[in-house]
Amino acid sequence: MGFWDKVSNIDRRWIYLMVAVATFFPMIVVMQFPVELTPEAVQLYEAIDNLPDSSVVMLTFDYYPSAMAETRPMSIAALRHMFSKDMKVVTVSNIPLGGPTIAEDVTRSIAKEYGKEYGVDYVNLGYRANYVAVMHGLATSIESIFKADFTGTPLKDLPLMQDVKNYNDIEFIFVVADNATIDYWISIVNAQYNIPVGGGVTAVVAPKMYAFVEAKQLTGLLGGMKGAAEYERLVKISGSATRGMASQSLVHFLIIFFVIIGNVAYFVTRKHEKGQK
Amino acid sequence: MAESMTFLDHFEIWLRAYLILSLFSFLYKDNRFYKLSEHVFAGLSAGYYVGLIWQTVIVQQLINPMFDEGEWVLIIPGMLGVLMFARLVPKWSWVSRVSLAFVIGNTAGIYLMNALHGLIFKQLYATMGSISNSNGFAGVLLALVVVVGVISTLVYFYFSKEHKGVVGVTAKVGIWFIMIAFGAHFGFTVMGRISLLIGRAEFLFYEWGGSLGQIF
Repeated sequence: MGFWDKVSNIDRRWIYLMVAVATFFPMIVVMQFPVELTPEAVQLYEAIDNLPDSSVVMLTFDYYPSAMAETRPMSIAALRHMFSKDMKVVTVSNIPLGGPTIAEDVTRSIAKEYGKEYGVDYVNLGYRANYVAVMHGLATSIESIFKADFTGTPLKDLPLMQDVKNYNDIEFIFVVADNATIDYWISIVNAQYNIPVGGGVTAVVAPKMYAFVEAKQLTGLLGGMKGAAEYERLVKISGSATRGMASQSLVHFLIIFFVIIGNVAYFVTRKHEKGQK
Repeated sequence: MAESMTFLDHFEIWLRAYLILSLFSFLYKDNRFYKLSEHVFAGLSAGYYVGLIWQTVIVQQLINPMFDEGEWVLIIPGMLGVLMFARLVPKWSWVSRVSLAFVIGNTAGIYLMNALHGLIFKQLYATMGSISNSNGFAGVLLALVVVVGVISTLVYFYFSKEHKGVVGVTAKVGIWFIMIAFGAHFGFTVMGRISLLIGRAEFLFYEWGGSLGQIF
């Protein structure tokens, strides 16, 4: 068996091993790759940055724990940006598993760093089932959908919620999602209630979102860990997404190498087989 | 972080590490550790969702509003929900069609409006106006690509006329656009999956490694 035959029939476990080595290598030997900014990420950053200080914004945690590597850094960077501008943040989740708890955990820890007070500077509404009904209902009255916040405190006891009754009191919605809920934030909240919506989504969801950015239905977009790293750069922090970009880049190089060598091996072995016939 | 870790913190980190490594072990070959973790995940998810739906739907949206706030009108959707269980008895399964008809009608109405107003019309306006709204030569060129891409892709999915002549050429252009879109989706999917791997790798390296360092 020649070299190219061996390449064509390589045990896939060697490939897994090489991917694992490429993933862990930058953690052992600290490496940093430049993070170039895309217009979509800059657009999202500027949309939030241009809001007046103390504006009320909504940040969604529409993601499962499995997608945290991509989405959690977006939420953290967004919260740092918002709190640094003294914005009032209302968090909500349309995902039952993980979303509300991650929102509670992340928001409280970032708020503590900026000296923000729960109920005055930020509120976590938590989760309610049936997101289509929730999105329509929030347009009329937030209190009709969420009678209490995530911890069970009635909204009437939270000072921030006395001024935030529905979408009209919210300047911008930053949707961080790993699934189709962002489609509904766009088609319901943006299209039918004219509220500007920005998106931070997993890489799997991102390609579809570019059409919405082009149509101005989405104000800016962060796609996957790369998008999160861009936002971290824009808010001048070095978080887990920036750290992860070194592994991401190395693995991408490796995959490109595999794709090229795999194709070369295919064509060489095919030519060899044809020659034998 | 490692300095302030309690026994419970260590236990949680080691449990997570065990589950991650046992699931990754499938990449080598199927084994008992993988199967155990898979079953734990499936069982926990099923149990969690049953509890979650009971609490967030039945309790929060049906029982509490009825008994605490007197919204007795909710007994109607509640009964429609109960009728769904008629499917379990073959003789009475037809009764569940009443609930299904309500769900289908309601869903179709809501989603049709969302799709028309939120997606189709907005995307159509943006596509039709993309050339006139674009700035500079490069902008017009990119807008033309969008318009050609939309039209040729639509022609590809037009099956009432044989794909020959002008229609055939346009459909072929459409295939190219579709293939490029698939390529972009695949590239993004690979990036996403690698990101998930990096997330787990970072946990193993920094958190589990931190715990290991403290213990040993």
